Amino acid sequence: MRSALGWVAAAVLLSAVAFFLSGYYNDVYRKLLLWIALALSYNFLFGISGQVAFSHFAFYGIGAYAVVIFLFQLGMPLPLAILAGVLVCSAIALIVAIPSTRLEGFYLALATLALAQLFIVVLNEGGAVTGGTGGLVNYRLPAIFGVYITGPWYTAVIVILVLGTYALLRHLDRSWFGRACRAVRDNPEAAAAMGVNVARTKVIAFTLTSVLAGIAGMVYAFVDNTVNPPIFGLENAFLLLFMVIIGGSGRHAGAIVGAVLLYLLPFVLSPLIGHHHALVFGALMVVVILLQPRGLIGLYDRYPRGQKAH
Amino acid sequence: MTDILEARKLTKRFGGLTAVSELSFAVREREILGLIGPNGAGKSTTFNIIAGAYRADSGEISFLREPIAGLPPHEIARRGVMRTFQHNLPFEGMSVLENVLVGAHTRFGGNLFSRKAAAEEREQHAHAERLVEFVGLGELRYASVDRLSFGQGRLLEIARALAGAPKLILFDEPAAGLTRAEAQRIATVIRGIAERGIAVLLIEHDMHFLLPLAHRVVVLNFGAKIAEGTPDEVRSHPAVLDAYLGHAAAV
Ligand SMILES: Nc1ncnc2c1ncn2[C@@H]1O[C@H](COP(=O)(O)OP(=O)(O)OP(=O)(O)O)[C@@H](O)[C@H]1O
Ligand SMILES: [Mg+2]
Repeated sequence: MRSALGWVAAAVLLSAVAFFLSGYYNDVYRKLLLWIALALSYNFLFGISGQVAFSHFAFYGIGAYAVVIFLFQLGMPLPLAILAGVLVCSAIALIVAIPSTRLEGFYLALATLALAQLFIVVLNEGGAVTGGTGGLVNYRLPAIFGVYITGPWYTAVIVILVLGTYALLRHLDRSWFGRACRAVRDNPEAAAAMGVNVARTKVIAFTLTSVLAGIAGMVYAFVDNTVNPPIFGLENAFLLLFMVIIGGSGRHAGAIVGAVLLYLLPFVLSPLIGHHHALVFGALMVVVILLQPRGLIGLYDRYPRGQKAH
Repeated sequence: MTDILEARKLTKRFGGLTAVSELSFAVREREILGLIGPNGAGKSTTFNIIAGAYRADSGEISFLREPIAGLPPHEIARRGVMRTFQHNLPFEGMSVLENVLVGAHTRFGGNLFSRKAAAEEREQHAHAERLVEFVGLGELRYASVDRLSFGQGRLLEIARALAGAPKLILFDEPAAGLTRAEAQRIATVIRGIAERGIAVLLIEHDMHFLLPLAHRVVVLNFGAKIAEGTPDEVRSHPAVLDAYLGHAAAV
């Protein structure tokens, strides 16, 4: 009961912020929230289940495109379009994960890299369905029970997405499933001896987190009210990886810290060094890996605060 | 007493080398069966075949009267055969208690969100705490596993395997590399496990450790069984003395 109240309070507070932000800052805030949602699910995939995949941002794009195509090219009602989008993401995730998780981790990295590239090609060559290089524009979120959700109210939807993602992943992480994921990451041989079906655990973690990325993408589709290929390129897949590693791989708080820092850093750096922040990220990444492999959240852990379960 | 595990004519070759050859033996309910033999005798290989990590070239294994040869390791664990590793294999990123909870993996019903899931989690947590206590790592339950000594890591392996509520537990040289005091501690723990009614298959090449502990002993040399019997019978068996001649220090 108390925890339910906590979640509601967090939702109200984080949403309230949006009502005090002007249009530009509201947009920054929304993107920041979306990056946090993505970093949280990518952390579960990469940091907790230990799978090196580069498809996470592509699934964000698949979700975004899918919901727009199902709504406006196929004329589906919103709930059906969302469901169809989830099914598409699940199907693609299973097709990639089932064969590659049976092999060495290296093959998943390759397969997901290929998927991310293929996705961009399909978007560019998709003709009227995907809108080609220009993407899809001039649509808006359909009314829900006669109401158009806009402005700060839509930011509240994004807040619910982030909190929902966090609550789900935190719950899973603390369950037998989360422990199985970490066991598979740390030592697949020992995990199997403890009764963990290694391949199945990987497939479920990959599919689940990919669907979460897809759902975040569906929400994103109505942030800019346009989806186009350049957004979903590989550099953002790597940015997610940087966020999780720099923040602290395997830890929810780490993912959040990484997402906030790396998303906001360019706003600070751009006036100073223009568009070369990739260099700064790269340098930061090297420094973190060498000095504090547990990421920035590992620095915070150094201050002893009594015994902890994790 | 009935047999809990029965191996029939197991053979395993690595290239030209026959690591295990036509090996048959049975583990009875509630007993500590020692599997002994000099280095390279095929003990670990036998063990890995039972646990599903290796596939035998021929032969059969039944556990609780059901065939298990060829099943993957996680299926064999699910049926109630848990193991430790000769070289400790902890989950490095987790605390001692979490390591033990992974051992309880098969004890969860598959629920994740129900009221039952929360109750199950609490129950297994409490059980894991008791096991950590039982092996003597209570003080270290929240410690990260990289803080454990080798001997403590061995105890963790045992607690983790016990968390799966095994009917048969496999130990691969649990005393190897330990001090005398640590080995004594392990021997006490293993006796305690057998007293709980869990059958134990214990691999060892140190007779001093094994003979006082085992109820029966199977002796391997070059992958084949050369003797079987009580510790006293085996101790004086000519073939065993022969096999261990070069290892006089061990006897
Ligand atoms: N994966 C493998 N590939 C090739 N040969 C192997 C493999 N595993 C074991 N062997 C060989 O099989 C034989 C039996 O090895 P095994 O590890 O079963 O012996 P052991 O009785 O456990 O010995 P130790 O007391 O040294 O642990 C040895 O000659 C070993 O070199
Ligand atoms: Mg061995």
